[in-house]
Amino acid sequence: MYLDLKADDEDGVVSTSIHYHDVIIIGGGLTGLRAALQVSDSGLNGAIVSKVHPLRSHSVAAQGGMNASLGNVPGEDGTSDSWEMHAYDTVKGSDYLADQDAVERMCREATATVYELEHMGTVWSRLENGKIAQRPFGGAGFPRTCYAADRTGHNALHTLYEQVLDRNIPVYEEFFVTSLVKDSGRCIGCTAIEIMTGKIHGFISKVVLMATGGFGRIFNRSTNALINTGDGQALALDLGVPLKDMEFVQFHPTTLYGTNILMSEGARGEGGILINSRGERFMKRYAPNSMDLAPRDVVARSIEQEIREGRGYDGGYIHLDLTHLGADRIKERLPGIRQIAMDFANVDPINDPVPVQPGQHYSMGGIDVEINGGTIFPGLYAAGECACISVHGANRLGGNSLLETVVYGRLVADKIIKDIKELSEPDSQHMKSAVKAVESKIEEILGRREGASIFKVRENMAETMFQKFGIFRDGQIMEEGLKEIKKMQEKLSHLTPNNKDLAVNQTLIQFLELEGMLKIAEVVACGAIKREESRGSHTRIDYPDRDDDNYLKHTLAVLKEGSIDLSYKSVILGMFEPKERVY
Amino acid sequence: MKLKVYRYYDGIEKPRYDTFKLEPTQGMTVLGALFQFQQKFDDSIAFHYSCRGAVCGTCAMLINKVPRLACRTQVTSLLKGELKIPLSPYPALEETVEWNPEEEILVEPLPHLPVIRDLIVDMSKFFDFYKYVEPVFKPGDPTPEKARHMDPVAIPELELYTNCILCGACFGSCPVDGSDPDYLGPAALAKLYRFCIDPREANGIERLKIADIPRGWWDCEFHGNCRRVCPKDVPPLIAIAKAREQLNQEREKIGDK
Repeated sequence: MYLDLKADDEDGVVSTSIHYHDVIIIGGGLTGLRAALQVSDSGLNGAIVSKVHPLRSHSVAAQGGMNASLGNVPGEDGTSDSWEMHAYDTVKGSDYLADQDAVERMCREATATVYELEHMGTVWSRLENGKIAQRPFGGAGFPRTCYAADRTGHNALHTLYEQVLDRNIPVYEEFFVTSLVKDSGRCIGCTAIEIMTGKIHGFISKVVLMATGGFGRIFNRSTNALINTGDGQALALDLGVPLKDMEFVQFHPTTLYGTNILMSEGARGEGGILINSRGERFMKRYAPNSMDLAPRDVVARSIEQEIREGRGYDGGYIHLDLTHLGADRIKERLPGIRQIAMDFANVDPINDPVPVQPGQHYSMGGIDVEINGGTIFPGLYAAGECACISVHGANRLGGNSLLETVVYGRLVADKIIKDIKELSEPDSQHMKSAVKAVESKIEEILGRREGASIFKVRENMAETMFQKFGIFRDGQIMEEGLKEIKKMQEKLSHLTPNNKDLAVNQTLIQFLELEGMLKIAEVVACGAIKREESRGSHTRIDYPDRDDDNYLKHTLAVLKEGSIDLSYKSVILGMFEPKERVY
Repeated sequence: MKLKVYRYYDGIEKPRYDTFKLEPTQGMTVLGALFQFQQKFDDSIAFHYSCRGAVCGTCAMLINKVPRLACRTQVTSLLKGELKIPLSPYPALEETVEWNPEEEILVEPLPHLPVIRDLIVDMSKFFDFYKYVEPVFKPGDPTPEKARHMDPVAIPELELYTNCILCGACFGSCPVDGSDPDYLGPAALAKLYRFCIDPREANGIERLKIADIPRGWWDCEFHGNCRRVCPKDVPPLIAIAKAREQLNQEREKIGDK
């Protein structure tokens, strides 16, 4: 499993570590951990490679819950929920861009997935009768969102980590993956820098599963952890794998003003309301039926419009008012966001409304995979937020992302377990040269003459992306934005960290992250410019209507000779025909 | 204001402190100040970060001689002297370096764990102790088809312990962990207690026995620092006191027979 090789003796000093596993899972969030359990239980030798300790993954920050049609709480008219209703809400929420076969599979598996976590020990919140509690969420016809107070991701992630630990599954912690390695048209592993030592490792495996999460940090107003830099999407792009629907970026309606930390949709699910600076419940103008619980794209646009038209507060925010819920309900159901509001905005939601504004939250697009998580290359799979399978289409419903991570973490692992029998042992020769290539690349970066700060470039990128590819988009402005991004790419190629150490060089890691982020930013930009319609989260001022005739299709982006090449593929319909979306 | 930061890396003889001057802004956290340090002063500074919202537990460090999450700690509050927490003394809290709390913020690595570089400590020991208590659900019944029912009355006490984010602030605040390198520490014991009180567990009390050893339940001296520094209000002291009581009761029962 572990072999210490000396690299070519000419340059002598660097010793190279090569590791062998059947399956390498990149990422230790909910998807990666769930897949690792499945792989381990099948008897295969799997390992997790993660740039942070698994418990520091962004899954831990998920608040509101996980959708499943358990039907534990009847609907308003006493009717019961079903997976079909869940699928309908998901497809409608996606503005009909989701692939309906993948949606069906997710919704059918949802109840078993919530139960599965319970069986592993997750402490779900409960109803009086002892059943798992469910709350209403945006765009859903039933109280369908199972929750553990407002710390659902934390509870689920700790549960899965406990199971991973119990099985002694190897975790390469704080390893930043530097490349995917291909041989004869097939993925045979990856290289990674061990952050604490600076040493480059090679991981040879029959299968690599990408579970690396989203790319929210290409935007400056984001709820995402600082580590969500789209590393997996950038690695896939470099290898030649298409990225799908990358222009669809979710802006969450309620992020805390100042830090953009998430204020869960569960706050509105529990009865919280949105109020503008004139004291109006403005959602009645935008979504008269669903009001504050319309889907996220609708509510985010509405808030942004209120602010732009002068009905927000100075600085650009509105109020999320929970005061009428009472102290007991807030303390029981929403303790986490109460603490966040107190810690970071000095506001206690029991007494005062919380200042909120929309902020980047989720990446609907990602690595192009078919319904089993496979990419165009044998041996390379992707699942969770880094992938686009596509269950969220143009707009994800709250409560569906936790669900996707665990459902497809398991299902894609099942497919891997089946497929791996057909794959021969990879050839290790390629890995040595791949490791050497990364060593040379890092040497080249650190050897550059000092230039302007890389941090400034990152700041500019995030600002450009939010200002020019944010909630409201316009062709001309986006063209300017794309030019700026390309200039930044050019600029970065001359920059270097001041710190020249190999061990614990976090600026070097940030440099490598930024390289990838600028590529992802370009893909988002190109996709958004070419999509001349408004659908879900993608709102064009110059093309305000949805155009099913021309754009009911997925965008695919590949890297061809250094530039982004776009093509399209059809959406899988079947259950529900596209209709106008009214809430 | 000034940020006074502990620096250590392989190859230097002994740790030093770097001082960096910056303008505090509304809402700036110690983590934010460390990013300023990295971006404007010295990009070789090393520190852990991830969620920046006090939920992932990766940025626990010693700030003004109190173990805290850097991302949750507001610099203006520190400068105003608002976040003082009285702690039972231990060697890491001693004044080893001069600093002026009115205009300086002192940032040092989390105590009781080996320093890798600057503010990054090796958490292996902390996680070894966590693993030692076998923190995994062991239900009493065979896996049912659906979910088990749970009385909602049981949830609030369980949540006290499931809320732990394993940041290690308690470990770095515990005088016993400082003097006895083998003591399992507050986080691991609180985690074990979480499983003991889960009504779905087979025989929760039996699980207490894994820490019924000198370096387990019995090593705690009830200083209470753990509770005071916990960013999530987890009460390891209560867990430890209750576990001892239950183990003592069981001993008495056996003694009676």
